[in-house]
Amino acid sequence: MSTAHARGYSGARSTRAALRLSLLQFMADPQWLIPSMIAPVIFGIVAFELFRGFGPYFLTYAILGAGMMSMWGQTLYGSGWATGQDREFGTLEPTIQAPTPYLYIVLGRVLWNVVSGLLGGAIVYAVVVAIAGAPPALPDPLGFVVLFLFVMLTLAAVGVVFAAFYVYTRYAGFIQNIGEFAFYVGTGCMFPVVLLPFWTSPVALFFPPTWALDALRYASIPGYVGFSWGFWPDIAGAVATTTAYLVLAGAIFHRVERHVLEVGNLDHY
Amino acid sequence: MAVAHPSALRPSFLRTLWANAVMAPKTTLGFMRIDFVLGTIFIIPLTQMVFFAFVVRLEAGGAAEVAFTALGNAVATVTYSSVFSVCQTTDSEKQQGTMEHLLVSPANRFALYLGRGLIPILISLATVSVGLLYASTFFGVHIDPSTIPAVAVSVVLTAFAMVGFGLLLGGVALYLRTSIILGNIFLFCGLLLSGVNFPLSALPLPLQYVGDALPLTWGLAAIRAAVAGTTGGPLELLWGAVALAGAISFGASISLWAVFERRALATGSIARF
Repeated sequence: MSTAHARGYSGARSTRAALRLSLLQFMADPQWLIPSMIAPVIFGIVAFELFRGFGPYFLTYAILGAGMMSMWGQTLYGSGWATGQDREFGTLEPTIQAPTPYLYIVLGRVLWNVVSGLLGGAIVYAVVVAIAGAPPALPDPLGFVVLFLFVMLTLAAVGVVFAAFYVYTRYAGFIQNIGEFAFYVGTGCMFPVVLLPFWTSPVALFFPPTWALDALRYASIPGYVGFSWGFWPDIAGAVATTTAYLVLAGAIFHRVERHVLEVGNLDHY
Repeated sequence: MAVAHPSALRPSFLRTLWANAVMAPKTTLGFMRIDFVLGTIFIIPLTQMVFFAFVVRLEAGGAAEVAFTALGNAVATVTYSSVFSVCQTTDSEKQQGTMEHLLVSPANRFALYLGRGLIPILISLATVSVGLLYASTFFGVHIDPSTIPAVAVSVVLTAFAMVGFGLLLGGVALYLRTSIILGNIFLFCGLLLSGVNFPLSALPLPLQYVGDALPLTWGLAAIRAAVAGTTGGPLELLWGAVALAGAISFGASISLWAVFERRALATGSIARF
């Protein structure tokens, strides 16, 4: 008998099922993409208006910033909303009690968030480019795309940790709505983090997307002034923090699952 | 046995107003948990102003540009409590299954809607006041003490007008499956179309007309004028425009609800979630 059968579950199958369910929920009510898209598109247009006439690379700032905000939105709202909805519908307890570790369920949902975040980023790109009348000046388009996907991966890592935390708290909605701008500021979505006061840097560096986005800007905006250590240390920092987040997420999920089963109060909404 | 005339059973205007003012924050209004209320008043204005101030600074904007943006966003945060929160009442009624009961209730509609808006008006006042305090303390917006009465009048009028606009959107949402999209659109489009981050004149003419139709545009113009020390006719004209925008919003929301109520009673399906 295979190990998966011995354990009573298959991680890959569970992740696929969660991904499929997320897709079906999206198909049933695709308007959910709109709330997370409206703010980034509008912020992208506002940034474009503010940056108008300040050189070709400010368009990249506007698109990158708004695209990042879209993906942040999907990550923050997607992870929190899914857990909150499970709690509201009463499906959180059975899901946690199932033999499949909750991590695989969350992984499927986060994967969907990545896909819909990319879709959102593409919509932001199309709208801002249509208004600007020209695509952004990119020295290395292929490198841009690869690094953009890497930024998505770092965001997904944050999404997994947030999802674990959201199991514990009834304040997911509060964190998403009230903390939205704080995340945008802290990770330098629309502007380099180095513009912020120095004491904020350690907090910002705690988030993998801060590193990855700085690297992406180094690669796509000539003359960009970000963290003084430059592109490759940014990449190394992003890889290290993303790995740390994924390891942390595994540990947190293990602990969360044990704790909530012991306490037995998950259905208290 | 004598039977009371139906009008005698109708709750009084004040009772309906008070009951809705007290109950709506606990039942149907969104964003009304105490943590959300405090976050809306104290955290969102600051983080939103910081965000846009740094965006302006990135494009080498000076102190004047930062102050312009900070003041605009200080006022724009009013939309969270006045528009987004109020607009969600329709969703909540549908979700909780109380919409049908509301539609057949004989309660005075104006008292009902105005009552629901009272707490959001107070929270909106607090949000803008705290936003202006942040703008003055951290972003170099100079508010002369002599202008405070004029600023206060502008803020109160803006809060009323914006809540009226939220009720109007709530009326539109009665016909939709959810109000979330409407709420989000008008939560953020003010940042683009109301002169929050840059003057309205920077937009194409058609978008300027759209901006002129939003109460936030006039409220923000009145607050900017009051902060700049404008007095007399020009300021009163702006106050008149804000009051008119609010009155139109309240009036349109009640008319809209009347139309959709008739439709709901005729079809028996509109109130379903």
